[in-house]
Amino acid sequence: MKYGFIIDNRKCIGCHACTVACKSEHDVPIGVNRTWVKQVEKGQYPDTQRLFSVMRCNHCTNAPCVEICPVEALHVREDGIVDFDNSRCIGCKACTQACPYDALYIDPETNTAAKCNYCSHRVEIGLEPACVNVCPEHAIISGDMEDPESEISHLLSTQKVTVRKPEKGTEPNLFYINGDDAALTPSLSRESDDYLWNSQTGGVGHFAKYADYKKQQSDPEAMKEVLAGKQGNGQKQIQAIMSKSRRVYDAPAKGTLWGWEVSTYVWTKAISTGAFLVPFLALGFGLADVSETIKWTSIVLGLVFLTLTGGFLVKDLDQPTRFIYVLLRPQWKSWLVRGGYAITVFGGLLTLWAVSVFMGWGMVETIALWAGAALAILTSIYTAFLFAQAKSRDFWQSPALSLHMLLHSFMAGAAVFGIFSIMSEATTDWTDFLNKVLMISVGVNLFTMLLELATPHGTIDAKKTVKMIVSGRYKNLFWIGVVVFGNILPMVLAGTGLTLGLPAASVLVLMGMYITEHIWVQAPQQIPLS
Amino acid sequence: MGYQHKPTFIEKIAEKLHLIPNLHQDKVTDLPHLKEPGKLTNYPPPEQWDDWVEHEAKSWPRREKKHYTIVPTTCFNCESACGLLAYVDKESGAIRKFEGNPYHPGSRGRNCAKGPATINQITDPDRILYPMKRDGERGSGKWKRVSWDEALNDIAGRIRKALQEGRNNEVAYHVGRPGHEGYADRILKSWGVDGHNSHTNICSAGARFGYNLWYGYDRPSPDHANAKFILLISAHLESGHYFNPHAQRIIEGMMNGAKLAVFDPRLSNTASMSDYWLPTYPGSEAAVLLAMVKVILDEGLYNFDFMHDWVNWKDYLKAVHPDKPATFETFIEALKEEYKEYTPEFAAQEAGVDADMVVEVARKIGEAGTRFATHNWRSAASGNLGGWAVSRALHFLNVLTGSVGTVGGTSPNAWNKFKPSFFDNPPAQKFWNELHFPNEYPLAFFEMSFLLPHFLKEGRGKMDVYFTRVFNPVWTYPDGFSWMEALQDESMVGMHIALTPTWNETAYFADYVLPMGHSGERHDINSYATHSGMWIGFRQPVLREAARREGKPFQFTYDVNPGEVWEEDEFWIELSWRIDPDESLGVRKHFISPYRPGEKITIDEYYQFIFEHTPGLPEKAAEEGLTPLDYMRKYGAFEVEKTSYSKHKKPLSEEQLAGTKVDEESNIISKNGEAIGVMINGNAMVGFPTPSRKHEFYSQTMVDWKWPEYTIPTYVKSHIHPDNIDKSKGEFPLVPTFRLPVLIHSRSGNAKWLTEIANRNPIWMHTSDAEKLGVKTNDLLRVSTDIGYFVDKVWVTEGMKPGVVACSHHIGRWRRPQDETGNRWATNTVKIEKGEGGKWMMQTIAGIKPFESKDKDSSRIFWSDGGVHQNITFPVHPDPISGMHCWHQKVKIELAHEGDKYGDIMVDTDKSFEVYKEWLAMARPAPGPGGLRRPLWFPRPLTPSIEQFYIKEE
Repeated sequence: MKYGFIIDNRKCIGCHACTVACKSEHDVPIGVNRTWVKQVEKGQYPDTQRLFSVMRCNHCTNAPCVEICPVEALHVREDGIVDFDNSRCIGCKACTQACPYDALYIDPETNTAAKCNYCSHRVEIGLEPACVNVCPEHAIISGDMEDPESEISHLLSTQKVTVRKPEKGTEPNLFYINGDDAALTPSLSRESDDYLWNSQTGGVGHFAKYADYKKQQSDPEAMKEVLAGKQGNGQKQIQAIMSKSRRVYDAPAKGTLWGWEVSTYVWTKAISTGAFLVPFLALGFGLADVSETIKWTSIVLGLVFLTLTGGFLVKDLDQPTRFIYVLLRPQWKSWLVRGGYAITVFGGLLTLWAVSVFMGWGMVETIALWAGAALAILTSIYTAFLFAQAKSRDFWQSPALSLHMLLHSFMAGAAVFGIFSIMSEATTDWTDFLNKVLMISVGVNLFTMLLELATPHGTIDAKKTVKMIVSGRYKNLFWIGVVVFGNILPMVLAGTGLTLGLPAASVLVLMGMYITEHIWVQAPQQIPLS
Repeated sequence: MGYQHKPTFIEKIAEKLHLIPNLHQDKVTDLPHLKEPGKLTNYPPPEQWDDWVEHEAKSWPRREKKHYTIVPTTCFNCESACGLLAYVDKESGAIRKFEGNPYHPGSRGRNCAKGPATINQITDPDRILYPMKRDGERGSGKWKRVSWDEALNDIAGRIRKALQEGRNNEVAYHVGRPGHEGYADRILKSWGVDGHNSHTNICSAGARFGYNLWYGYDRPSPDHANAKFILLISAHLESGHYFNPHAQRIIEGMMNGAKLAVFDPRLSNTASMSDYWLPTYPGSEAAVLLAMVKVILDEGLYNFDFMHDWVNWKDYLKAVHPDKPATFETFIEALKEEYKEYTPEFAAQEAGVDADMVVEVARKIGEAGTRFATHNWRSAASGNLGGWAVSRALHFLNVLTGSVGTVGGTSPNAWNKFKPSFFDNPPAQKFWNELHFPNEYPLAFFEMSFLLPHFLKEGRGKMDVYFTRVFNPVWTYPDGFSWMEALQDESMVGMHIALTPTWNETAYFADYVLPMGHSGERHDINSYATHSGMWIGFRQPVLREAARREGKPFQFTYDVNPGEVWEEDEFWIELSWRIDPDESLGVRKHFISPYRPGEKITIDEYYQFIFEHTPGLPEKAAEEGLTPLDYMRKYGAFEVEKTSYSKHKKPLSEEQLAGTKVDEESNIISKNGEAIGVMINGNAMVGFPTPSRKHEFYSQTMVDWKWPEYTIPTYVKSHIHPDNIDKSKGEFPLVPTFRLPVLIHSRSGNAKWLTEIANRNPIWMHTSDAEKLGVKTNDLLRVSTDIGYFVDKVWVTEGMKPGVVACSHHIGRWRRPQDETGNRWATNTVKIEKGEGGKWMMQTIAGIKPFESKDKDSSRIFWSDGGVHQNITFPVHPDPISGMHCWHQKVKIELAHEGDKYGDIMVDTDKSFEVYKEWLAMARPAPGPGGLRRPLWFPRPLTPSIEQFYIKEE
């Protein structure tokens, strides 16, 4: 048995009855929606159309939300429905980043993720979902797609249907009859500050807690260039697409779901792992002498920043008291779980190293050091795999992201020790080593980063993100904050060999890294998913 | 087939050690599946409605069982009265949700957004829960709670006094949302007052007049589901009567191959779904329709039989071409001559549409023949001077194609609307209220309700007791400031009682605000022409029915409703009883139970009687072992007729024919001087309720009532015809009449799920016009009417006809700082200031803001833009014939002036009085033939006794 939906656009009149019936059935708070009717106007008078598209969970066969969920709060039922259990949810919002269809939101009442669950509480006793029932036009068709007798099977076999974002490989089970590209592809319709009948001035859901909604700066010029790249569209066609399609209704924007806590945790994590990896490099490969002070500095920095990392991770949860579920209700495919365990084990190994240093257990120290290094690397780069699981964010799908994270660890490690070098008497040998690590890692980082941005990107969303970074809303932060102050200037400063060169470079590197993480986390989240 | 979570080893251990809570409980259901696995059904079977068990969605996937008693009722948002099922939680006693009622023949279990949103209206934290009496100046915003007894006695005493003193015309009931088949009319008759006022003339009077001239019925009932071609001068896929039921059947027809054409200067959702969008210049519709008539005539696509048998062409020939042979062929030739000027090119020029499309659509209509469904709701007929000519021209197409009363055609609405039988019928009142039916408008459909403030100002009369029922003229009507002036003047309005479920701009100026229930909190019987068929729906207070099922005691509906929210039905009985305590006024005798002699009737008995006298219902109920009333309580609806076609061909019975005369020339069958039918090809048939008993292509009535220029369907140039618009001065026609699918006038502002979808109303303007003005979306415009201006944002779009602008009237709700609560989901806070003379200024001082209430959602309001109240800047425009307020405005559009703020409104009521006088001067007053106030064959609500139809010589 496999339930699916058909949205029959030959019949949908855009009346919003499904939206409201769903709200009624599930008592969904205002500002968030399990289903809604996006409306796009296309064409030029008098050849104008308003396209209605019912948006909701696509009940994917390969549901990325289920894969990324660390605690099995989301699951695929035997009948194909992607359901959720909010008593398990920790509010990490990874699902909202994984879903390419913008189907999930954080319920402001329960602080847990929610979405269309095909009214499984009704389906289980044989009732149609509420939206199917209410629809005046029977434009939403539910049913068992494996039953050849069902209406949905009949329509699937006789009508031309289309799905949203097939390239994501999610195998959605929601199909549109007469689906229009201009309506189903988010990048093909202009966003408006205000829609025809409604506007948004406040944050909703998770976002409401933080800030008033800040209007997303649309960047039409940049978008035109991006579109020009797609399948060799000429300027004329781009103009045509852009001027002819415009969103006139959409659900309220949810804002940025992963905020400063996430970029900060990536940054503290880099410091923690770097503070371990840099001395390890010296010790393990005999590249420099590592004093007891450095070891203890490494241990303390590693543990402190690891604790901070954990703290920010917990802080980011909308259900922070359930943080332990990550370890105790693990869903092993999720990189949040794998990362959680990596952090935990790394923390354990750091402690073991501390004990062995204190007790003078040489053998144990060596084991702790090498095992710690492996875990530090894993801890350092797992976020890249987590981001890769966030399928909705094309920019995060870059294979270079793990290298980027690893380099950041080395940069951070070298930088924190670089700062400490003025506080305590460091040997020239050690500072030279730090200088080298810093310059090499920053140099490679700069190269990787620019390569990452310069390499052609496969999707419009990724291109839009790059544009946003290089020439859009983040351009000043990026070119000045990241490239000049965060990378080039530190290399120059570190290269001067002056006493204050290294610490100054270190401060700049840490700042630059923070800005980089901020941009890398935020920019992709500005791309509309529906 | 569900999901059983299999915990990992770690989770098992952790749960066992109580490190984390055990989440593996309550996840298995023992509720039976209604169908075999994989098959789904829409609704619980009715035999389980008394105790329906389902899982609570909010605690899913825990299988929390909830027991409901499911009570049917009908929606009270738009007029359609679609079926609803209320799920009443047996444990808490509260309504959990509303779904559709699958046993309702009109809505068939499906609803628009407003149906399920009813629960918002029930639980609205701002609703009025108790009777309130003003406690300060009228309009001061100060209120005190009173008991129902106190309110009833006070109001009843005042009415009694008026009746005793013969001031019957000072008692009036003004209804916004009707329904209530005949209920209020019966009450008013029992009081002997001509006190019915309505909203019809700001709504549908134009269309009604045009239809009525043709066939004595004032509305159409298209059979969309079976049509081959559908022509809408309306937006029935998103609004209008009867939105949801009609939208279902339009799409059904289209899925079966019907093509849809839509006239609308703006891209409505309906136009967007159409096969042919004709963005007609507002007011030009009749020209386009008559061009289609010409194509059908010229190409011989008309229906010979219907035209020959059912059109009064002989009357036409006799009056207009007495010299020519009275043959059908002569008629057709004369027709071609009459409409020869209406070429597609002429239509294209008037309307700004493609001439080829006009021809193509006309041919499709001709091909569709008797399967041609049409509708015209509000829109053009309500917008324009002479708007009635639009529905007259539209119906002409139905007449030509013979698609009147056919399968897939268009029937008179009355064929599909049930009329209940009452236990008691008071005699017609012996009064004619000229505040409602003034002599200037003898043909109006119906009461000149929007002129009331001007009539009062002119001293034509006063309102001593004035009930407004779900009626908000200050906001909904044109010229709201004149309403405020009249309502605030106690010499014009002695006592104003607002019967309303929710606060509104008019209730602020009441003496009593009496909370009446929403859908599911009141009784009512509904029947509407949603399709070819006939049904009744039973609106019932669901908590009352739930209490009855549980055997809980109550006397009145307010005992079980939230707070002391009541319903008009019981209120009227109690009020009438108290008006006549000593039976001296003859009121009480109309409220005696038919079942318990001498006792006051109960509301249950009232409906019991109606249902017992509904054809077929007692039998249907008996099949289930139920009384008719219990059947309706259980199912909430009954189908009186499955289909209702060709009723004009109904043969007259022997009994009817006894004592009749047949006029040799006209074939009209009459009895006691009254036409009751017509002979068609030798058969006695009932025909249509016109003087000729046929379709009246030629209207002698128009000649008799001084409008000889309009004897046949024609095109009337609107007050906003391009000839009257000076583009060089920035003038535009403004189309202000359209609704949104999620809103309904004043009543939906308290539904949070609806207002979150729609809360602002920018002015639609075509890109080219915006470029000329140099504005982009969201820039501020000052829109000046003849009496003032409003400042609104612009929405630049390709979905608007160039040279025309549009703005929905559904948004722009307000409250004043002294009105602490009331629809805060939807209302801006405004400052109102009165200046010199009639100058009024309204400014938005705060948009919509989050607020704390028992509903946490109120603190999450994420919108602040509440739109602009445009209607208040419109002067009254009474059509001299139909009496319709012609909504469209000639406006001057300019960039906002320096200092103008979003939402600013300025109006001069002295100017609005002048405009009123100008339009009044266009009327051609009664008397008509024989001193009549109104043609006797025209319908009139609350028909007075016959002598009242004649103007008395003073």
